[in-house]
Amino acid sequence: MKPGKVVQALSILMGLMFIAPIVLIFTTSLSKGTLITFPPDWLSFRWYREILSTDKWTDAFLNSAIVATLAALLSLVVGTLLAIAVSRGRSFIPNSLIIALAVGPLIVPLIVSGVGFYIVAVRIGLTGTVLGLGLAHSSLGIPFVFLNVLAALSKLDPAIEEAARICGAGNLTTFLKVTLPLVLHSAFVGSVLAFILSWDEVVVGQFFNSPTFRTLPVVIYAEVRSGADPSTSAIAVAATVVSILIFAITAVFGVLLRRRRLRSTLV
Amino acid sequence: MGRDTIRVTKSRQRERIDGGDANDGAARRFNFFGALGVPAVAFMVVVVVIPIGMILVQSMTNPGPVNYATASESGIFRRSVWATLKMSFIVTVLCIVIGYPYAYVLARSTPRLRSILLIALMFSFWTSLMVRTYAWQLILNDTGAVNTFLIDVGLIDEPVHMIRTSFAVYLGMTHVLLPFAILPLYAQLKTIKPEVEQAAQSLGARQSKVFFSITLPLTLPGAIGAGVLVFVLALGFYITPQVLGGARNSYIGTVIVQRIQILLDTGVGSAMAAITLAIVLTILIVTSRLVDIRTMLGIKQGNR
Repeated sequence: MKPGKVVQALSILMGLMFIAPIVLIFTTSLSKGTLITFPPDWLSFRWYREILSTDKWTDAFLNSAIVATLAALLSLVVGTLLAIAVSRGRSFIPNSLIIALAVGPLIVPLIVSGVGFYIVAVRIGLTGTVLGLGLAHSSLGIPFVFLNVLAALSKLDPAIEEAARICGAGNLTTFLKVTLPLVLHSAFVGSVLAFILSWDEVVVGQFFNSPTFRTLPVVIYAEVRSGADPSTSAIAVAATVVSILIFAITAVFGVLLRRRRLRSTLV
Repeated sequence: MGRDTIRVTKSRQRERIDGGDANDGAARRFNFFGALGVPAVAFMVVVVVIPIGMILVQSMTNPGPVNYATASESGIFRRSVWATLKMSFIVTVLCIVIGYPYAYVLARSTPRLRSILLIALMFSFWTSLMVRTYAWQLILNDTGAVNTFLIDVGLIDEPVHMIRTSFAVYLGMTHVLLPFAILPLYAQLKTIKPEVEQAAQSLGARQSKVFFSITLPLTLPGAIGAGVLVFVLALGFYITPQVLGGARNSYIGTVIVQRIQILLDTGVGSAMAAITLAIVLTILIVTSRLVDIRTMLGIKQGNR
C-alpha cells in the first residue's frame, strides 16, 4: 500500500532534519569573526587553519584516533573469537553465558558502565591512559563484531565447509582457509562500527579524561559547555568528516568485495 | 595421505555424533574453537563483569549497604529518577509516533525515495551524538538560529527562552534517538507481505481501514521492540540532557556523575548506578515477555 503524498512529504522533511545538524554547524564554522552569529558572517576558512595549528585540538584528534584504533582491533579479535566459540566451539563454558557476556554491554547504560570502568581504572591507575580507555571502549564495540560474525556464520551454507572436509582438509584448515575468509568481511564491518563508537563516545571518555589526556568528543563537550566558538564548529565538522569517510570507504570496499566474489562464482 | 583420510573420517564421525549442535548436556568435550573462546571470555570478564561487579562491591562496602538507603532517601536522586523516567517515556512516544511514518515510507515507497531517505537516516548515525547535541544548542540558544530568525522577521522582540528547558531536552533527545526507533519499525514493516494488505483492499477496505486493522497490529511487536530500545537508551543518556537541560531538573546521569566526580562519594554513586541498572534490567525482563529480545538485538537474523 503506497504511502500518501502528505506522509511522503513529511518523511522527506524529516530526512532533511537528519542532515540539517552538520550543515548548520558547517555554515557556522566558516565565520570570519570569533563569534557564532546567525546568519554567519561569511566566508573564511581561518578556523580550519586554527584547529590544525592548535595543540589542544590536534592532540585530542590523535588521542581519539589511537584509542578508537585500539578499541576496534580488540573488538575485532575478541568479538570474532566469541562468535566462533558460540557457533563452532565446544568447551566447559555454556553458549548462553558467552552470548550474555558478548551482548551484555549493549544493555548496560553507558553512564553505569562508565562508573564501573572509572572505579576499576582508578584502582589500577589506568585513568587518563590510552590503554584504559581503549579497553573500556572495546567492550562497547565487541557486541557489534560478535553479532555480525555470528549472523554471517549462521548464514553460511554448511555444504561449503563439508566440501572442504571431503577434499581432505582438517577442521583447522577448513576453518582458516574456508570459513574465516567468508566471515572476515562481516567482522571487519563490525570493527569499523566499533571504531566509530569509540570515536564518538563522550561519557566514558569524560570519566577517563585527565589534563594531559582528552579525546576529541570530550574536548568538544567541554567547549560546548563553556561556550562554543567557530573553532568548535570546525572541529565538529572535521570529526564528522572522518566518520563519513570511514563509513564510505567500508561501503565501497564491501561493494568491490561482493563484485569480485560474484565474478569468481560466474567464472 | 593415509593420515589425512583417517583425520577426515574421525572429524566427520565426531560431526555426526554431535549432530552439529555443539551444546547439549554435560558430556561436552573441548574442541579447538571452544578453547579459542576461553581467552575471549576471560577478556569479557575483565572489561564487563569486573567493572559491573566493582559497582556492586563499592555500593555494598563503601562504607556499607547504607549507601542504598542514602541514595533512595536523597531528594535529588529521587526527583532525577522520576524526571528521567518521564523524559524517557515522552521521548519514546514521540520517537514511535514520528518514526513510524518515516519507516512506513522507507518500506513502501519507490526505490529512489527509499535510498534518499536511507542516506538521510545514515547521516544521523554519521553525525555523532555530541555533534548533534551541539547543533541543537546552536538552534535553540537565545542568540541561536530560531530566535535570530524570529526577531529578524519581526514576530518577536525578545528571544524566546528555549535552551536549558525540558522542552529542549525532549526535542534534542527525540531527534538523537529517532533512528533507533525507525530501524526496528522499518525491519518489521518489511516482513509484512504486500499481498496481505492487497487482500484487505480487494475485499473493499479503505486505506485507513487497512492500515489500522492490518498493518498497525502486525507491526506492534516491532513498535514495542523499538520503544523498549529507545526507552532504555534514553534512561542512560548523559550528554544531551546535560547540554540542553536546565540546572533545575537534573536527570539520573547528572546526579550520578556529580556524586562520584564532584562529591567524590563513590559508594553512594555506585548505589545509584546499581539502582539505574536494576531499573533497566527490570524493564527489559518485563518486556522480554512481550517481544523476543533476541529479535530486537538481531541475534535471530540467521534463522529468519
